[in-house]
This record gives sequence, C-alpha cells and structure tokens, in this order.
Amino acid sequence: MILGYRLQRRLDADARRSAIYRISGAVAGLLVSGLFLLVTGRNPVTILADSFEAVFGSKRGIEGVAVQSIPILMCAIGVSLSLRMKVWNIGSDGQFLAGAFVACGIGINVDLPAGVLLPLMMLGSLIGGAIWILVPAAARAHWGVNEIITSLLLNFVAVQLVVWASLGFWRDTTSMVTQSTRSVPFTLPRIPGFDSVSIAFFVPLILALALWVVFRSTKVGYEIDIIGGNPRAASFAGINVPRRVIIVMLTSGAIAGLGGVLQLTGAPGAQALNGGGFSRAYGLSGFIVAALAGASFLGVLVAGLFLSSMFYAGIALQTKGLSVYIIFAIYGMVLIGVAIGETASRYRLYRSVAEMSGPVDLETVTSGAAS
Amino acid sequence: MTDSQHTTSVEVRDVVKSFGGVLALEHVNLEFRVGEVHALLGENGAGKTTLSNILAGIYREESGHIFIGGVERSFHNPAQAIEAGVGMVHQHFRLVNSMSVAENLHLGSPDTPKIVSQRLLIDRARAMMADIGLTVDPEAKIWQLSVGEQQRVEILRVLARGARVLILDEPTAVLTAKEARELFVVMRRLAEGGRTVVFISHKLNEVLEVSDRITVLRGGRHVITREGAGVTARELARLMTGDEAGIEVAHREVRGDDVLVLDGVSARNSRGVEALHGVSFSVRSGEILGIAGVSGNGQTELAEVVTGLRRSDSGRVSIDGAAVTNTSSRRITDLGVGHIPEDRIGVGMVASAPLKDNAVLRHYRDPELSTRRLLKRDRVVEFARSLVEVGRVQTRSVHMPAGQLSGGNQQRLVARRESLLASRLLVAAHPTRGLDVLASKQVQEAIIERRDAGCAVMMISDDLDEILAVSDRILVMYEGRVMGVFNRADYDRERIGLMMGGRTEATS
Repeated sequence: MILGYRLQRRLDADARRSAIYRISGAVAGLLVSGLFLLVTGRNPVTILADSFEAVFGSKRGIEGVAVQSIPILMCAIGVSLSLRMKVWNIGSDGQFLAGAFVACGIGINVDLPAGVLLPLMMLGSLIGGAIWILVPAAARAHWGVNEIITSLLLNFVAVQLVVWASLGFWRDTTSMVTQSTRSVPFTLPRIPGFDSVSIAFFVPLILALALWVVFRSTKVGYEIDIIGGNPRAASFAGINVPRRVIIVMLTSGAIAGLGGVLQLTGAPGAQALNGGGFSRAYGLSGFIVAALAGASFLGVLVAGLFLSSMFYAGIALQTKGLSVYIIFAIYGMVLIGVAIGETASRYRLYRSVAEMSGPVDLETVTSGAAS
Repeated sequence: MTDSQHTTSVEVRDVVKSFGGVLALEHVNLEFRVGEVHALLGENGAGKTTLSNILAGIYREESGHIFIGGVERSFHNPAQAIEAGVGMVHQHFRLVNSMSVAENLHLGSPDTPKIVSQRLLIDRARAMMADIGLTVDPEAKIWQLSVGEQQRVEILRVLARGARVLILDEPTAVLTAKEARELFVVMRRLAEGGRTVVFISHKLNEVLEVSDRITVLRGGRHVITREGAGVTARELARLMTGDEAGIEVAHREVRGDDVLVLDGVSARNSRGVEALHGVSFSVRSGEILGIAGVSGNGQTELAEVVTGLRRSDSGRVSIDGAAVTNTSSRRITDLGVGHIPEDRIGVGMVASAPLKDNAVLRHYRDPELSTRRLLKRDRVVEFARSLVEVGRVQTRSVHMPAGQLSGGNQQRLVARRESLLASRLLVAAHPTRGLDVLASKQVQEAIIERRDAGCAVMMISDDLDEILAVSDRILVMYEGRVMGVFNRADYDRERIGLMMGGRTEATS
C-alpha cells in the first residue's frame, strides 16, 4: 500500500487564499533569514527589536520609512500595472533611473522658473521611463519576446548611463565629489510638520487609489484584466491586444520614471545623479512589493510600507555593523517565500492511499455523481 | 461466440469510487467475457472512464472486488494492470511523435533488451505485429502517420505487453468514418482471437454496430447489461439519459437571402501552410449550414476567417452584402455575428475571471453596459444573471470564476452569449463537443432558435450524427476544399462519410 502525499491542482483561483499563502511565504522567508543570522552569530531577536526601535522608536524613523517608500512604491505601482496583464516588468530600476536622468538633464540645462521647470521635468521623466521599456514592450507585443530578460538587462544599461553622466558630460566640476552631476535648482516642499518627507509622498498614494478605481470600474481596467486572464479571449472580444500591451507597458515604465523625478527633487540630499548610488535597487524592492501584493493596488500600499520599513531598518542598522546587503539577502528570502506561497496556493495537498496517481479526470470529479 | 461456451475474463463486484466526496461509481457490478466486444455506454460523468481507469490501474477502487481471470486483483499502478493482462488505449495518445513506430512499441516495456539497434527494434516490432495480426510500417515516425494508424500503434503497444483485456476509451472520437470501420474490423478480430475488447463510447450507432453485449452506466450506477442484438438506438438512448434523448428538429425548405458569402477564399493555418484553398459557398438567412469533415481539414481556419480572427490571402467574404474580407473581428461582431469558438476555454472565455466578466466579454461596449469610460457594474451583474437564467447555466453565483463551471455549463454560457450577438449570422464550431446529452440538446436548441429567428447559421462539427440531425444543408470539407454540398433531401450518410475521407465517389 502506497501511503503518501500528493498535490492536486485546484480548479479555482481564490484571491484571498492566494494572499494568505503569499503573506505566509513572506513570513517563512523572514524566519529562514533569521536562522541564517543566527548561524552567522547574530541574534535575530535583537536585530528584530533594534529594527522596531529604528523604525517606530522615533519620528526620524517614521520619516525615514516614508522617504524610502516613495521610490519603492512608484516602482511597485509600475510593476503592478503590467502584472495585471501578466507582464513581468523587471526593469523598473532602469526606468526609474531613465526618468531621473531625463529630468536631471532638463533641470540642470534649462533655465526656467521652478513653476515651469518642474512640470517639464516631470513630463521628461515620464517619457524617459517609457522610452526605457519601449523596446521590450514592442518586442513582447509583436514578436512575443519574453519581457523578463529584455527589461532586466536594460537596468544595467541605465546604471551605466547614469554613471557616465555623473562622471562625464553632466559632472559637477565645482564639487569635490567625483561622481555627481550638477544639482537641479530646487527641491519639492516638505509636508508641514515633517523635516524630510516631501509632498511627493502623496503621489504614489493617489496613484494607487486611482488605479484601484480604474480596475474596479472602468472599461480599460476590465480590458487589461481580460488580457491578463487570457489574451486569446481578449482578441476574441475585439480588443487590440498588442496595442494595449504596448500602452500598458509604456505606462508602467513611465510611472517608475516619475518615481525618478520625485526622488531627484523630493528626497533629502538627492538633487543630483550620483553614479550608481542614485537608486538603491528601488526597482528590486518595487518588484517584491508587487509580487507580495499580487498586483492589487491597495495591497501594494501595505506591502510597500512593510518593505520600506525593512529597508529603512537595514540602513539604520548599518551603524550596528550590519551590511545593507543583508537586507537584499533577506529580500531574496522573502521573494522566494512569496513565490512558493503563490504556487502553493494553486495546489491542494492530499494524503492519499495511492489514489489520484493518474491524471485526474476533471469531468468526473466535478460532475461525477451530480448527474 | 455462442452463449454456451463463454468464460468470464473480468468481474467487477460492488465497486465504489468517489472524488472529493462525490460518488463516481456506486456499487457497480458487471462482467466482461472472453471473446466479446463489450460496449460501455453512458453520458459524460456516467462513470465509464472512471471504471476503466480502475481496471487499468490508474485509479484505485475504494471498496469492492475486481477479479481478473478468476483471481482477485487490486492495482496500484498501470504496470500491475498490464502485467495482469489489462491494457487501456486512452483518448489522447501517449506516443512520442519524433520517434519511430518500432521505438514507441518498445518504450517502457520491461521486455525491451538492454542493448538495442534500430535493426533489432524493427525486427522485433515486425514479429510483434505478425503475432498480433495488425500492421503499421515499423520504420515510420509517429508524426508521419494518420490518426487511425497512430491509434493502431497504441493498440499494438498494449497488446505487445500481453494484454488479454483491451480497453478502448472513445476510440472513434478522432477517426474518420472509414477509419472507424477499419477499427471495428480489428476489434472483432481481436475478440474472435480470444481477447476481451471493452469499447467505451457515447455514440449509439457505433455501439450497435460492433458490440456483442452492451452495458449502460448512468450517474455512476450500472443500469443494464444486455445483448447487442435486437436493441434499438432509441432504447439505448433512453437507458443512457433516463428520458427520450436526441433532438427533433423541424426542417423546412428555406429561401432566405444570402447572409454570408465566401468567394474563392484561401488562408494559411498558424504554421503558415495553406489550409483553405479557394473555398466558395453561401449561408442563407434562416438555415443551418452544417460543415461536415474530420477535424483539421480547414474548418478551424474557415471559422476564424469568417469571424475576422484570421487573415485570408485571397478571395472575398461578405456579410449581408457588406465586404468584410480581412476586417477586424470587432466590426464583424457589430454586424450581428456571433461565434461559438472551437476552443471555448482557450478562446471563448477567461477561466480565471468571474462569470460576470465572461458574460459581458463580447457585450461590454454596449451602451447598456458601459459609458465611454466606465463599466456599469450593476448592469453587468444583471446582464450576467439574465444570461445564466436563459442559458440554464448551473452556478451558485455570477461572481465565481468561470473556470469552476463544468464543461457543459461553460458551453451553455458561451452559446447563449454568442446567440445574443447573432442577429444575422452565428458561427458555431463544434458546439457540443465533449458535452453530455442534455447539455448538447440545450446548446443545439439555442442554435436552432437563432435559425428560426431568421439568423444564418454555419455549424462546424466532426460528429456526423449531429450534422445530419441539425443541418438544413450540409457542406463537406476535406483538406481545405469543399467536397460537395447536400440539400436535406439528398442526405446520404455513406457518400458524406466518403467525402469526409477525401473520396468524391464511392469507389473503394
């Protein structure tokens, strides 16, 4: 008698179950990370306590999280938008940098009053982010080229472009800093009562709510979800799928690009592109947030603030001898946990006595004795 | 075979099987005899496939007993079943397309020598075939063979492993009429050679043609086992469904105007090979034109060209006089064209999306359901509820994913949705494929209802019985060409069958 556990694919996709599994996966990832910290001679409980202290212990901590959350959320929202269509935009880091790059170029080279210059820079960042995903989008829409590889690789190109600008053609020759462009001439106003959080903080919040409404109530949102669910059915319904794919992907890139200008003009001490350090892998964080939230725009806000807290704690704990790369390692664990959870939510575990060993005849399962 | 000398080869006693709490087999008792062709007849979900999967070691019975040649057996896996002499040929073949017949016959068999050469495999394959009395070119690659020949390889593979009981799961579903005839000859010969052939089907005529005895299952229960001789199709249908089955269609001579006109249309399939060669015909208002043919003879491409999902290379298509050659599917839909697609799950719906979203998939642009930008969410739900009601779709809620519906209910939904669109033309591709009798009947009724309302209907099916029953005219397609068109008065099953196999005249 063969006793054993078997997996059976579930027939239905339940959003709530999927969310629970993903969150459990994230928690499991954190626990495994804790185990690794333990093995390397650090006390994960202390680190957790320190993290809490760093984030929630002071106004500075809260502000720090809010500052980090802006670029992370902008990238996450961009990724989520394309994820609604089952398109994996892994290049939001590149789009974020491209947006910042164009905005910086405008900001330091065009001499206009701030009231005109800022909208111009924003427009430029949108275009920059969109251009950075144009080739992956067109290739995906028309030739079915996998966007994961193309969008990912362009990240590296964007980093080099920014490094080049800050070492070369836009370098700030008046400063002692060797790797920095000249600074854009202004910063966004702070939210009253805060020292470092600019009004840019509201942009991702408003954007996420707006997109939530789009997918709840509009024709466009419905069409994008249909494409995500089954592109052939979308064509059947008369939707121009390649065109929609391109538009959504460009919008996804543009949102990350807008994140770039918000960072450039809003983050404390940014104002210039400084080599490879301008984006602290915000695209990566954004991607994890989008995966964790399962492309839900309200979920993105929750997951984004959670990850931003983790990220900020990581930065704060550097003073205690922890490297920021540990945070990236923990990110990896969380992402793996989420991915496993996502997959697991689509299966059911059976304790079986050698039943279900063959392909399950779904027709029989569903309508077996019903007739 | 005479009644006096029969011996039992398989006995099934009190077998019970359930899936997730739903009973698929309820205390089933029956026996198969040596030397008989025994048909297992029943609708989808009647339990025929479950029963045969238990006999073939794919599922395990929950309770009850199975005797093979008088010895009680219970199989954990297909290997044990085949060792006990029970082999099954599945509906979907399990052959490696890029390998030769000889290689496929040896794959996975414990008798295959450890060291082999092509020569040796081919010689051994020839010996097996001579032994069994069935031949296929052992050197041919599987992909080069016709479906009928591939099936023969599957049968050979099972028999070469020593099967005395051969279970064939819906073997004719993929065959032409002529190939089916040939298969029946093989089945008879195997039975006469002392094997037991279990023939699973829901096609009454075939069952009547080939079986010594017939067992009818319904809802997981054994209804009756009786001699094949002397029973009528009508009787069997009643046993299968519990009530008078089959659809009575009132046909009439129609002289409506041409709605759909094709003139010399050619198109390529998805692999870039021309699949339609200069096809010309028309469908009139108020008639059902049945497109008969074995699947893969250009019908898919035809339906797609007509509905704007595929470009044609030459020729003209018009609907109500408006030229629609290579215009968008959206524009064609707007002309009042509905399309029940062949692949209803892959094309016709979004399994992961809620039923309501699927209900409005083709109507959501309607001002009733949306403004320029916004979807009227309450109206969408209302629309979905009414569609569920008129289409008799069985579901708990319109908010649950459409993928959770049973196959029959999915098709009821798609058929009603498309009927609603089809004010002028309905293109129905294999509308009842895989459905049980009741669901088939309801879908056919939806189609006939459109015809009676003056809509032109082009119905593609590879089920000739369905075509003959429902169509007002029949067009036969073979390899992308029109082989002939029959008016209702000149229906000739034999000739249509031959044309489906590529012959124009009865010269076989």
